[in-house]
Amino acid sequence: MSQKLQLNRIKKRGLFQQYNIFELLVWVFLIITALFVLAPTIFMFTASFMPANDILKMPFRWIPKSFYWQNFWQGIRGNNGSFIYVRNILNSLIVAAVVSATTVFFSALAGFGLAKYYFKGRNMVFMFIMATMMIPFEAIMIPLYLVTTKLGLQDSYAGLIVPFLVNAFGIFLMRQYFITFPDEILDAARIDGAGEWMIFRTIILPNSIPAIATLAILTFKAQWDNLLWPLLVVQSEEMKTIPLYIVKFMAEKHTDEGAMMAVAAIASIPILIVFFKLSKYFLGGAAIYSSRKG
Amino acid sequence: MSKRKTKYSIERKKAQWGWIFVAPSLIVFAIFNFYPIFNAFYTSLFKKKLLSLKAPTFIGLHNYAYLLNSPDFWNSIRATVVFTIGTFIPLLIFSLLFAVLIMSRKRFQKFFQMAYYSPAVLSSVVAAAIWLIIFDPRGLANQWVNLMMNTPGIDHKWLANSIMVQLSTMLVYGWKYVGYFTIIFIVGLASIPKSIYEAARIDGGNQWKNFWYITLPLLKPTTILVSIMSMLQCLKTFSTQYLFTQGGAPLAPINVITMNVYHTAIRDHRIGRASAMSIILFIIMLFFTWVQFRSSRADEISY
Amino acid sequence: MKKLLTFFLFVLFLIMTVNTVNAVEITFWTHEDPNRTEIENRYIMEFEKANPGVTVKRVTNSSTKIQELVLTAFAANQGPDIFNMSIEDEYAYIVNERLAPIDFEAAGYPSLQAVYDAYVPGVLDPVTYKGNLYGLPLELTNWCLYLNKKVFRDVGLDPEKDYPKTWEEMVEVSDKIAIRDGEILSRRGFDFRYPYYLVSMVPMVEQLGGKLISDDGKTAIVNDEAWLKFLKFMQEWGPNGKILGSPTYANARKLFNKDNNDIGMCLTGLYQQGRIRNDNPDFYNSGEWMVVPFPVFEDAVKDVPAAYYGHYYMVNGQKPIENQKMAWKLIAYMLSHGEEYLTKVNIVIPTVKLMESETYKSMPYSKVFADDMAKGHVVYYAESSAEIQSLIREAVESVMLAGTSPEDALKTLKRKAQEVLEEG
Repeated sequence: MSQKLQLNRIKKRGLFQQYNIFELLVWVFLIITALFVLAPTIFMFTASFMPANDILKMPFRWIPKSFYWQNFWQGIRGNNGSFIYVRNILNSLIVAAVVSATTVFFSALAGFGLAKYYFKGRNMVFMFIMATMMIPFEAIMIPLYLVTTKLGLQDSYAGLIVPFLVNAFGIFLMRQYFITFPDEILDAARIDGAGEWMIFRTIILPNSIPAIATLAILTFKAQWDNLLWPLLVVQSEEMKTIPLYIVKFMAEKHTDEGAMMAVAAIASIPILIVFFKLSKYFLGGAAIYSSRKG
Repeated sequence: MSKRKTKYSIERKKAQWGWIFVAPSLIVFAIFNFYPIFNAFYTSLFKKKLLSLKAPTFIGLHNYAYLLNSPDFWNSIRATVVFTIGTFIPLLIFSLLFAVLIMSRKRFQKFFQMAYYSPAVLSSVVAAAIWLIIFDPRGLANQWVNLMMNTPGIDHKWLANSIMVQLSTMLVYGWKYVGYFTIIFIVGLASIPKSIYEAARIDGGNQWKNFWYITLPLLKPTTILVSIMSMLQCLKTFSTQYLFTQGGAPLAPINVITMNVYHTAIRDHRIGRASAMSIILFIIMLFFTWVQFRSSRADEISY
Repeated sequence: MKKLLTFFLFVLFLIMTVNTVNAVEITFWTHEDPNRTEIENRYIMEFEKANPGVTVKRVTNSSTKIQELVLTAFAANQGPDIFNMSIEDEYAYIVNERLAPIDFEAAGYPSLQAVYDAYVPGVLDPVTYKGNLYGLPLELTNWCLYLNKKVFRDVGLDPEKDYPKTWEEMVEVSDKIAIRDGEILSRRGFDFRYPYYLVSMVPMVEQLGGKLISDDGKTAIVNDEAWLKFLKFMQEWGPNGKILGSPTYANARKLFNKDNNDIGMCLTGLYQQGRIRNDNPDFYNSGEWMVVPFPVFEDAVKDVPAAYYGHYYMVNGQKPIENQKMAWKLIAYMLSHGEEYLTKVNIVIPTVKLMESETYKSMPYSKVFADDMAKGHVVYYAESSAEIQSLIREAVESVMLAGTSPEDALKTLKRKAQEVLEEG
């Protein structure tokens, strides 16, 4: 209602008289802070095109003199010319994608079970699952590492994936979503003779795309970013993931900031593209979390 | 083949299916979450060194007693608490501020949301790499601050001075997550029905009064959610501090508990003590999560 | 016909199992060094040809990461067959009996004593434990001062004559060379090799008469006055003193190769020459760099150069005997190429033969290194040397960066180091 009033006011008084000094200040504030927030990312891209010596010259030139592609070449090539970065990017992709898929699947399963089925001990189970969210990873990293090596999974895709097959946040998200799923549809399907598994596969899953997409994207991003676990479990060059490569690169060529930023840029471009195209899922993810009411 | 089932056995069948659906996740949790935490607690009762082939010696709660008397551990608690409080308060204020300001704009809302959120998309390793260069004495941080404060040539020692380095970690963390919490506030703001503002307008309220007496109180559950979430995140912080110290920053001022656990286990090989430290952290986090559950249940807002 | 077929299959099966019984896979973990990787990969190929049934998997990691990797692997009883690290990091493995003693026959020696005789006296002591030998040295390294002649001349100094011989002179020279914008250094004279306190800074304390551990091994941090003087010196050096350098700037040694007019001197070993030659052949060939001995304090009571450390190839004792034998054989084979390691990688395998060879003697500045090494002693190695080093790091960082007084820092250091020593 008030929007219409506003519009009328604009039409009558003209656009400029609508903004007083306060409004202007707010715009300036927002724009300046947005620039501050974006600056480091822009810096990364600019610096990746500059030779290392220029990056730390004072004052910093935001527009590079020329496009110094060597940084990217050096970054991908690696310090020993093995181009292992390509393999590492692939590793990150594989691990993140698989973990996303399993998390979505298992979370949907468990979330569905918790939302739509009444069984003794259901609340206890839910609490237990939520409790796992409070376990800081560092508390379990060494025992987890020992379990993983006992199963012989160190330095392998399985070792990178298996501890993260499902997580409590995913289950929570799915459960929230399924709780609002109308029971009538499910009951109707049961009357028609559909088994529970079929209900899950053919009714629940296809109609939960927003929640699934959100969970998939958030999980993917979290795995892409994972440093501590791969740090423990990966032992060979080939199985490293992107964060490990960056850490290694940082340690070796600490002073080739240009190549360092190129490596960082390469690592960030895929996820930034996903972010731009599918931003509603990123922004929505935060929203879903905030709408939980206990 | 429709058998006539009694209500009882339908319920039973459904209950079974409930268990079947949650079983896979429970198995994964049992192996990769519950077992390790119990193992960690068990290990914390021993004196054990990582490389030793001998059987560890049982010392009961001695590791805990040692830690609670160790100035080094209290330094870690101090570093973690300072970091948590110093991060989540500005985070709270700024994200609320941004949310309110953005929502009161008629245009460019999505642009601002995305701009503020974008740092959260970068990996923390990438963020640390970028900020290490920015905080270099010859880097952007010094240049800009000197420009704005007109103090050419002053090195603000972002990574060298013990107070500044803590500030630097807070700055990086806040930069990374302010957008995320802004979105949460925006959703919280959007869930306040417009009818309330209409009623207030009829009653003759102005914008400032509206904000203070209507918006803010109704945002209480969101505020609490943001506070607890950001606090829990901050308690778990590792990458930023780890990468800064690898890059030359001093260890003591930013030796947060997680990093202390890591070093005690991996550098000093004292895994019994490291386990005890991580159990203490676990208890701290348990406490805060319990607070969150309590408060979000208690503050069910009804319009 | 069927019987023949079954017979054939049976024989095939036997051959296959026999072959797999003979197949040994050796995992070999070491740290990054492109020059060494090149020659060792070649040795491995030759070794595999000469020993069919043995495959070797060589993996490199950065020198900081490799300690963690080897540690976590061994903790899970999954360590590699062969690995190497600096002795102060390796010692814990010896003491915890994770290693295989040398199989001198496989290594090509007639007796254990023959092994000792082949090496410079004393260098095998750190890896001798309870009468057994647990490692063979890949390199024995000490650090001396490299300086960039151009930078010296730029401030009107003659590098041949005016190079710093004392730490006090070092302060003066670095101050002259430093270019600052206010408090921010864009060129440094010298800067320390910060994470390596045991190798490069404990000797400075020893020059002043202090000690890390008392002779009877019971007390940590001996001679407060010496330690205080050292801590005060570091405080003066840093951002709260004369602003000559700091751990937060880029690593001096890594900048040196670039010859970019941002560093004048650095502390590093003979192997650096190979890196300079690799990274910047023009700089290497121009002769615009030189090496001088480790500086000594003006009123030093002892002339102590930087400590030397060794990397020793070690063998995992938890692997099957076949693996251990082959591992020692491979190690001995690689290390027999001492001269190539010296010329291509610039690292010194301290065999008697090599030290007396013309090749060694004709390496640029090898005499500077040899003289300093003769005066020096091995770095402190013990089960908790890594922990002790981090305590020294804490002390130095607190006086340089946090403004702690040297007295307080020393008190903390003494207390903590004593604790570590007693706890073991």
